[in-house]
Amino acid sequence: MPMRGFVRMAISQATILRRNVTFWLVSIFIAALSMLVFGALFSPDQQPLRLAVVDEDGSPAAAELVTAFESVDSVELRLGVREPELSALHGGDREAVVVIPQGFEASIATGGSDLEVFYDNSNPTELAYATTTLKAVVDGYNQQVNPMRDPVRMRSEAVDTNSGRYIDFLTPGMVGMTIMFTNLAVGFMMVNWREQGILRRLGVTPLRPGAFIGSQAVSFAAVSIAQVVIILALGRLAFGVEVQGSVVWLALTAVLGVLCMLSIGYVIASFARTVTSFNVVQQLVAFPMLFLGGSYFPVDPSPALAPVVNAVPLTHLNDALREVINHGGGPADLWVSWLVLLTWAGGGFLVSLRLFRWQ
Amino acid sequence: MTAPTLRARPTRAPAGDAVLTVDCLTKRYNGLTAVDAISFEVTTGETFGILGPNGAGKTTTLEMIEGLREPDGGRITLLGLDAVRKRSAVQDRIGVQLQSQALWPELTVEETLRTFAALFRHRAPLERLLARFSLDEKRRSLVKALSGGQKQRLSVAVALVNDPDIVFLDEPTTGLDPQARHDLWDLVQDIRDEGKTVILTTHYMEEAETLCDRVAIMDRGRIEALDTPRNLILDLDFDSTIECAFAAPVDGDRLLALPAVRRLVNNNGSDVLFTSDVSQTLSALTHVTDTRLLNLQVRTATLEDVFISMTGRKLRP
Repeated sequence: MPMRGFVRMAISQATILRRNVTFWLVSIFIAALSMLVFGALFSPDQQPLRLAVVDEDGSPAAAELVTAFESVDSVELRLGVREPELSALHGGDREAVVVIPQGFEASIATGGSDLEVFYDNSNPTELAYATTTLKAVVDGYNQQVNPMRDPVRMRSEAVDTNSGRYIDFLTPGMVGMTIMFTNLAVGFMMVNWREQGILRRLGVTPLRPGAFIGSQAVSFAAVSIAQVVIILALGRLAFGVEVQGSVVWLALTAVLGVLCMLSIGYVIASFARTVTSFNVVQQLVAFPMLFLGGSYFPVDPSPALAPVVNAVPLTHLNDALREVINHGGGPADLWVSWLVLLTWAGGGFLVSLRLFRWQ
Repeated sequence: MTAPTLRARPTRAPAGDAVLTVDCLTKRYNGLTAVDAISFEVTTGETFGILGPNGAGKTTTLEMIEGLREPDGGRITLLGLDAVRKRSAVQDRIGVQLQSQALWPELTVEETLRTFAALFRHRAPLERLLARFSLDEKRRSLVKALSGGQKQRLSVAVALVNDPDIVFLDEPTTGLDPQARHDLWDLVQDIRDEGKTVILTTHYMEEAETLCDRVAIMDRGRIEALDTPRNLILDLDFDSTIECAFAAPVDGDRLLALPAVRRLVNNNGSDVLFTSDVSQTLSALTHVTDTRLLNLQVRTATLEDVFISMTGRKLRP
């Protein structure tokens, strides 16, 4: 069978998927809805700005500044010592740390003093909010002390922390979930086409099962990538979720996820004779995977349950996606997840090719 | 008196090259023999029919020839190639028409034809196909928006997308209304006129009689007879049937004893007499019993009668 046939098959199948709007739109809709609901629930305006102030001066002027910070409604103030507080910032327990340097009071009278301000870098929206809030306080303080000059200035430093907003956790999980649902659905298509006699129609042509499945994989990968782009665009525009890592590794991770989920879809289709029985099995597979795989909530299993969680391919897909999107990881961090996904894909395709029938 | 059973007469194919040779073809499922060592030949340019009831093994036979199923025994030589070992090469050059539902609803007519065409080495020109099957205007319509007749035409067009020399039609008019059936028969005639070989299976006797040069009558995995429709009927020891319904059941022996009656079959309360001399039987019939005759149908023998006389059953129960 000519190469032209493979290409035409891939194009036609992509066309069929595209025209089945419910198919690709519903998955995106579920992801978007989840993100909007959870993103809105955890919006920064509702959360207090946890501010740690390290007063290394101990003067009345410094104490006044502290009071000024504390008086802001959304600020939850803690007084502390430099190292532990920076540690807490790093661990995601503070949004900002302000260090009032030794000699603060003296410096204000002479030339001016620089406050060291450390911000949590992981969340642009919260960062903007914290910056504005602290600046407002400092400006107010400056007005009081010396309206003509600005004796107190801020030297800011954005710090990479381990904290993340829930939306940052959720978005890669939604990408993983969508890849799963979209590509498991290939099995539905196979069973449906088999029932309709469409596969039989292909079985009397020179088209071989391997080429047929290959062309489907290409078309499903194209649709999945488009969905991934849409979800990440939504995350970026609505919530400032940034892709920290390389697009190349992200694409590779997505494609491996596609192949893995496709192969599971095919295996189920090998055993299901009707679309109803396919749907039943697919639900039984997809929903446990969705929750054990950590798309919505972090899964931290006890040692006894860890093998179960690790046996779920979605776990590895979500881990890899979070590694690339949230932490900017590269092949060194990702190869284990990639290997797991590839193994699932390879095994699944082998099984389904053996069991493949046109009718 | 019982009628002698018709034995299957081996018939040589008409002069010309054999495009398909089937030799002792066998298929078994779960201990049941669906196709029992059948053999036949089809000549180039011929329209060959396999006539039989559901479950006779017609579709399974065709599927083995088309490469959809593997035979358990026997050989198939199609277009000079071993159809089992050289499946892809054979499939590249044959055309197969399946039900008109077996198309993707989401593709347009043109996209459907292009998709199938791309699978073959040789393609018929798209424009010609569209024109010939009157699908020009509908080329950009989605398949799901087509009428039943248009889908059927598209289904046949798909079978011809690689301009094959031999076309297989499996029960092509099952489920179609009479008008659609006749439309399809016209299409088959066109294909014949182009010199293509056509092999079809059916359980409609009129279809076999109208379309086919030769017919193989198949039942329970075996070919019971193979000849032209005319010869099959001439070979019968009767030439007409009389179907009569009486007000009350009449003794079968008395009916069988009527002159020229060869065979008697009972069908849902009607008695069917197979006779070699209609006038003789008819005149005697009116005197055979006092019971009132409610209904009387006389017709010349058809392929269905051939089937009934060979197997004792109807083609379609």
